[in-house]
Amino acid sequence: MRFLKTTILAAATLAMTTAMPVSAQSAADFPTKSMTYILPFNAGGESDISARFQQAHWKEVTGQDVVVQYQPGGGGAQAWSQLNGIAGDGYTIMGVNLPHIILQPMASEVGYKTDDLVPVHMFHYTPDALLVAKDSPYETLADLVEYAKANPGMTTFAGSAVNSANHVAQVTFDGLAGIQSTYIPFSGTGTATPALLGGQTVGYWGYSTVLASQGDQVRMLAVATEERMPAFPDVPTFKELGYDLVSGAYRGVGVPASTPEELRTRVSDIIEEINQNPDFRKQMEDAAFVLTDITYDKMGDFMAKQKAAYEGAAEVLGIGK
Amino acid sequence: MELFDYFLNALTPFNLMLAVVGVVLGTVVGALPGLSATMAVAVLVPFTFTMDPAAGLIALGAIYTGAIYGGAFAAILVNTPGTPSSIATTFDGYPMARRGDGGLAVTLATLASVVGGLIGGFSLLFLAPPLARVALAFGPPEYFWLALFGLTLISALSVGNTLKGLIGACIGLLLSMVGVAVVGGDVRFTAGFPAFLGGIDIVSALIGLYCVPVIIDLVATRDPHLKVEHGHEGMRLREAFGIAWRDKFNVVRSSIIGTVIGILPGAGGSIAGLVSYSEARRSSPRSSEFGKGEPGGVIATEAANNATVGGGFIPTLVLGIPGTPPDAIILGALLVQGIKIGPTLFSSEGHVVYTFIFGLLIATAIMLPVGLLIGRYAYKSVVAVPKAMLVPTVALLTVIGSFAIHSNLQDAQIMFGLGVISWILGRNGYDASPIVLGIVLGAIAEQGFVQTYLIGNATNNLGGMFFGRPISIGIIVAATLTLAYPFYAEWRAKRRGQVPLGAVAAQAEGHPANIQTAPVQPTVRARSHDWSGVIIAAVLVVIAAVMFREARGMSVMGSVFPTAITLGLGGLSLVLILLGVLGRGHPATTPDAQGASSIRRVLVVVTFGLWVWLIPVLGFATTSLIAFIAMAFIAEHDPVPAKTLMIRGIVAMVTVGVFWWIMNDVLLLRIPGGFLI
Repeated sequence: MRFLKTTILAAATLAMTTAMPVSAQSAADFPTKSMTYILPFNAGGESDISARFQQAHWKEVTGQDVVVQYQPGGGGAQAWSQLNGIAGDGYTIMGVNLPHIILQPMASEVGYKTDDLVPVHMFHYTPDALLVAKDSPYETLADLVEYAKANPGMTTFAGSAVNSANHVAQVTFDGLAGIQSTYIPFSGTGTATPALLGGQTVGYWGYSTVLASQGDQVRMLAVATEERMPAFPDVPTFKELGYDLVSGAYRGVGVPASTPEELRTRVSDIIEEINQNPDFRKQMEDAAFVLTDITYDKMGDFMAKQKAAYEGAAEVLGIGK
Repeated sequence: MELFDYFLNALTPFNLMLAVVGVVLGTVVGALPGLSATMAVAVLVPFTFTMDPAAGLIALGAIYTGAIYGGAFAAILVNTPGTPSSIATTFDGYPMARRGDGGLAVTLATLASVVGGLIGGFSLLFLAPPLARVALAFGPPEYFWLALFGLTLISALSVGNTLKGLIGACIGLLLSMVGVAVVGGDVRFTAGFPAFLGGIDIVSALIGLYCVPVIIDLVATRDPHLKVEHGHEGMRLREAFGIAWRDKFNVVRSSIIGTVIGILPGAGGSIAGLVSYSEARRSSPRSSEFGKGEPGGVIATEAANNATVGGGFIPTLVLGIPGTPPDAIILGALLVQGIKIGPTLFSSEGHVVYTFIFGLLIATAIMLPVGLLIGRYAYKSVVAVPKAMLVPTVALLTVIGSFAIHSNLQDAQIMFGLGVISWILGRNGYDASPIVLGIVLGAIAEQGFVQTYLIGNATNNLGGMFFGRPISIGIIVAATLTLAYPFYAEWRAKRRGQVPLGAVAAQAEGHPANIQTAPVQPTVRARSHDWSGVIIAAVLVVIAAVMFREARGMSVMGSVFPTAITLGLGGLSLVLILLGVLGRGHPATTPDAQGASSIRRVLVVVTFGLWVWLIPVLGFATTSLIAFIAMAFIAEHDPVPAKTLMIRGIVAMVTVGVFWWIMNDVLLLRIPGGFLI
């Protein structure tokens, strides 16, 4: 059935490309109708919020609307495994996330390989951060490390899912600090945050965005950026505290592999243009997202670097190979 | 009086119009299984970007509350919860409709939904900051026990046949584990199909398990779908008020349960409905009537699920932690509007928040007239439409509904497969409801259990984590009461010399997929061999063994639950085989109505199967139209004049066309096109 479907799709695509004059497909006109933006997660997470920020500026940049659809399942794997079955006309784009699309295929058979996916633009990332609740006895990272060293295994950290950015940060930091902590996976930010606020776990390996949304309810002990974040000048980086941890989760958009080159570039350009909108920048930065402009032409190098970087993490997690 | 000003703000003509349109739209979306509140809210969010924040929120809130309410229609009229929140509405709503009280059931659902929605809304208005603490007090152990509490309802739903109920629950729990595990990250029980990675979607499972058996049985006889007695055609508002007043404690209790469970980010409307149904049944003087068309059951569920709307907004607005997926989308819309969510929201953005809450309350109140009007129309349509048109329309809705969730045809195929299995199981005394409870509650129970275990193990406090926390103890006590109550009631009834509850309840066997149209004969407890039950149990033992083997290859975290449940399923099935062979089993009692046609059943299943598998070949519209017409012929038992056939043909084309247009152009779903459209 799948074969049949693919054949039909291929035939249809072929028929369309031969029948239509090249000018009609010209990327300059694109888009001429509203686009669909599929998120492989449930509403309310970082992917959703940043996509909604983009959606508000979509029309002024492209002249067309974009519809956000949710297709959660398998930590994103279900949607990504279906991406290449969608027509590559540029009108359907899908959120892609790092390290998910690198670590998932390494961990198990999830119906796609990292190289099957075509990310065309990575527009922001959220740095990993270690947070505690406001009434926690640990004021600094040193306090927490000291406690963790004295009580091996007893320090519990909430985080989103397994083999995720949060999980990688936890195991990497355990190694850097010479501690042994226990990672408690939750189904997402929406269930992990109440666990931290309610005192169910000692800390939370989350993103800088948690501090932006929770304000003084939480304390961010350190953030995994090169430099301190402008929004949080008082929060130290892991680097300055002596731990070489610079990591986070990148988010971007991908297209089906059948999408022609000029449309890939066009979609990348649209995302880049929205990234330059001052209102959008302010909304994103207020929510503690860090904007990036990894455009389609830079994607090859970027992905190669990321894949190399996560090989080590995969080894620590005990997955892959 | 500041609050009063906000109330007046909410009352502007524009806001009122948004509330009315939102409620109507929401009710219709909710009534169609598969089209969910999440989907409706997600599509409409962009339109609110240009509106005043409060107005936008009112529109979204009205759609949301309307959708949760609308779910009751499908539950009552065709035994299919329009949204997971109305699962428990089917337990009594559908039996009521079958015996001719459909209008009454819809009216009761409306009254209960409005009161529940208002209580939830007022809690949001006056008690939001303190109640938000509830969301934080619930940790992994509490979620685990709450899910278990929900599962104890099985003992009540399957009185007289607990063994088959428990086996059904195990099947549901195993189905809930399919896909990538949140804890452990294992890929479980997918049989190598990427389609199963995301798990079996709850909504498509609901549609299949509940609705497909109804379709299969509908075509078998010429009897009308719903019985209507003379003088009972209307909505029976006065009578409904009387019943609701009699059940006022039930309404209030269920609304409070709904509000509190709505606050929990990891729970949701389905659990709220199930828990309050369970409580209503336990405390009702007519508890033996529950499951057979007791109005109290409909009232409890519908009051609770609409109360979750207000409840869910409490953590969303106070903590920035969405209670449900629609809340999450609305949270995103607020952020886009530049409104900062959090503890200070109520003071810093009071004009937006309070205007919105009043708007939500007004929308809830509008549900009363709007709901009664739509309900009246829906009930009359389902009653008046000839079977030959009803069957294909309902079937079309199941296909569209299960497809629309992920724009994925495999969901429709899974829906159909589960539906046929559900029909076979139902014929042999395995109800759909325990399976559904297992699917809905499985993931919550498992995540809660493994997280509790990990935390307890790390802190050397396993016992304390599971059994030492005050809220957990409270839930455990409530669960034990629910579990033990049927046995206590039995004992009490025997002592008083009444008919034991078990004997009464045994007559309700086969509920809800097989409501008997013929008067039930008192069950004679003679020895009888339940051979069909034994054969099914033997198949389940094999399945359990295969899955047990697969679980051995998983990580420790990922294998705990599958191992326990497969062992449970295997063990229970073996006990059933033993009892069946000894002649101590409970054979299913599903006497077919006279003239039931097996050939029509087979034909409708074959048509249905071809439908969901031929869509990618022939195209959605073509396949659906052909299947629609074929089903119309299968469902028709009498010769039909040519003129009627013509009209039906036109209706078929219009129905398929309209839904195709909605999917393609309104919801912008990716519809598979084949050679044709």
